[in-house]
Amino acid sequence: MIFKNKKAFKLFSFVFILFFSGQALAHHVLGRPAYSLNEDSNTPPSMQVETQIGSYFVTYMVYPAFPKPGERGRVNVYASRIDNGDSYDGEMSFKVKNDVMFGDENEEFLGSQQIDDGVYRQGFEFKDNGAYIITANFEADGEPYTIDFPLQVGEGSGMRPVLIALAVIVFMLISVNVIQRRRLMRDKIRSLRDGSSEDESTTL
Amino acid sequence: MTHPGLPEYWVYLIWGFMLLLSLAMILKVNFSTFSILNKPDVPFASFKSAAPLVHLLSKSRWLLFVLKVIAVAFFLLVIYAGLMGTPIPERNIATVLTWNIWWAGLILSIFFLGSAWCAICPWDALASWHVKPKLWLKNRVLKLNNSLELTPPKWMRSVWPALIMFIGLTWLELGYGITTSPYATALLSLLMVVMAVVFMAMYKNKAFCHYVCPVGRTIGFYSQLAPVELRPINNQVCLDCKTLECFNGSTDVDACPTQLVMGRLTQNTYCTSCGNCVQSCPDENVAWRLRAPSNEAIKSARPHWDEAWFMLVLLTLTSFHGITMMEFWEDSLRSFAQVIGDSGQLLTSFSLGLVVSMVVPVSIYAIVVEASRRMSGSTVTYKKAFTSLVFVTLPLAFAYHLAHNLNHMIRESVGASQLFVNPLGTNVSYSGVADELLIKNSMLLSENTIFVLQALLMIFGFWIAIKVLQHRSTVLFAKAGLNVLPVMVFIIAVNGFHLWMLMQPMVMRIGALCVVPSTL
Repeated sequence: MIFKNKKAFKLFSFVFILFFSGQALAHHVLGRPAYSLNEDSNTPPSMQVETQIGSYFVTYMVYPAFPKPGERGRVNVYASRIDNGDSYDGEMSFKVKNDVMFGDENEEFLGSQQIDDGVYRQGFEFKDNGAYIITANFEADGEPYTIDFPLQVGEGSGMRPVLIALAVIVFMLISVNVIQRRRLMRDKIRSLRDGSSEDESTTL
Repeated sequence: MTHPGLPEYWVYLIWGFMLLLSLAMILKVNFSTFSILNKPDVPFASFKSAAPLVHLLSKSRWLLFVLKVIAVAFFLLVIYAGLMGTPIPERNIATVLTWNIWWAGLILSIFFLGSAWCAICPWDALASWHVKPKLWLKNRVLKLNNSLELTPPKWMRSVWPALIMFIGLTWLELGYGITTSPYATALLSLLMVVMAVVFMAMYKNKAFCHYVCPVGRTIGFYSQLAPVELRPINNQVCLDCKTLECFNGSTDVDACPTQLVMGRLTQNTYCTSCGNCVQSCPDENVAWRLRAPSNEAIKSARPHWDEAWFMLVLLTLTSFHGITMMEFWEDSLRSFAQVIGDSGQLLTSFSLGLVVSMVVPVSIYAIVVEASRRMSGSTVTYKKAFTSLVFVTLPLAFAYHLAHNLNHMIRESVGASQLFVNPLGTNVSYSGVADELLIKNSMLLSENTIFVLQALLMIFGFWIAIKVLQHRSTVLFAKAGLNVLPVMVFIIAVNGFHLWMLMQPMVMRIGALCVVPSTL
């Protein structure tokens, strides 16, 4: 075996997975939005991500930045080649899903759009508050491109982190109590044992 | 939106002062003859009007408890609003209270009150109430202890963990952009409480405050420059004391959470201002007193290796905060990202920028210390010179931090009171141009007052840094003349760079019409 100890093998595996998982995700980007407003205008701000993905430079905007339920919004996507600046002019499709770690993502198709004046525009309207991910997909040079964009609609509605924090604290306190009781028992047994051995030695 | 920078005439004035002072130091002018820094410490008890209030504040456990309850109430409001409120950062109390008011105001509070914040810190209060709750009954105090009381491992008993946490916090703040997300702000708040509870449940005393808390350690180091301190009234009483209630605690009062012995206390770094020593001392020999600001950093603070690194990183990260709020930062980062092929959140580019911003000043400092050591022909070890002279960075970082935060505090907290009416920002709209005008017209202090304060702070920082250099180099190298020129150039360069940053328009942290530099 090349690796004489398990630690080295584990380290190599970790680095290998890390490296190649990065390669596999090269055409799938989850961008963090920048909340900005053109200072020359008095329109509500938009959320924006600029990203390099494969051979393309993509700008992705959601307007308004924080839509409310029932409010109509729009996604604008600009994609141009990094090497020569040419715009991508094929079809682009949009999907939306719930931004959840566990549970039902409930993915829905928003629509497919053709380029219009160098931009792909996709309208949306959400009925409920929540955290969503809008995904834009396109294919160029035989390769698929996927861009995810997190979107908060309305106010937050998640006290789950508080419950998790409370669970950790309660678990910690219970564990400490259990260990303390065991310590106490051990000390009692030890003192009893010491006491009895002292008695024996006195008898002898 | 950006804040205007410091006008040029102020900058010229500060530069003139810096050069004069540097020249005076090279010419070996003795500052102590006209320095207020040599005034003896004054106990608050000698101020007849302030004495009862200070006595009440330090002796009354009920007052401290009430202040803690208020701090915890605000903290819980931050969590609730962050999780349940609007995601618009300037309309949610979670982000405004945490980043504009608390984080910026905290540094300002050190300037007047030292480490007073630690005494009412909600993270520690919540951890204590969970792990070591106390009930004051009629005749006795009922104490529960849910801690394993383990001794922290040796690697943890330093400020390295706090240093790593501090870098992590900066990364989250400026790289991940936590300041623009009420939800992420709430998550961070929860994480800090959980960490405080876990550490208190595992280790004895307050290991989290002592070794891990980045805020506490930042407060601790800056407190070396504060004008207040908790110290013995009569040192002889402490020398004669055999029971050390300040260290061991008494039946009613806990021991010092960071294991300080009052009789040997020479620096504020680890004092959390909890007042346990004041309450437990049977001779009532511990009291707050006023002192000449910065005397501790200049003379009495002892150098340690890990603490030296914390102070250096504090300087670099303070400067880095300023850099990321310059208008050029975002474009530079984007250009750099294109070069290395980074995309999306540009976190790789940001992280590299963060590393470079730490490595470059630290390397320069390391070189100038060696140069000064060689020029002085001293036999003192490099490590000793490195740790001793590092105190020059503390006033530079503190002064810039204060000057920078004044902008956030004064300019971006306008209208914050409205947030207390609607802390969750329910049904509010975005900020607009009207808010920009409101900010300009409703600031607590006028723009010129802010500039004056910023200029005075920069002068103060430079002056203290030179005083530190003068005293410590004399102790270290037996003389302070041309041999300290490299370190002096370092001080001038750092303060000059900070001044230059203050001159530039500064991007708002989360305020109205925000274009936040950290959101890439």
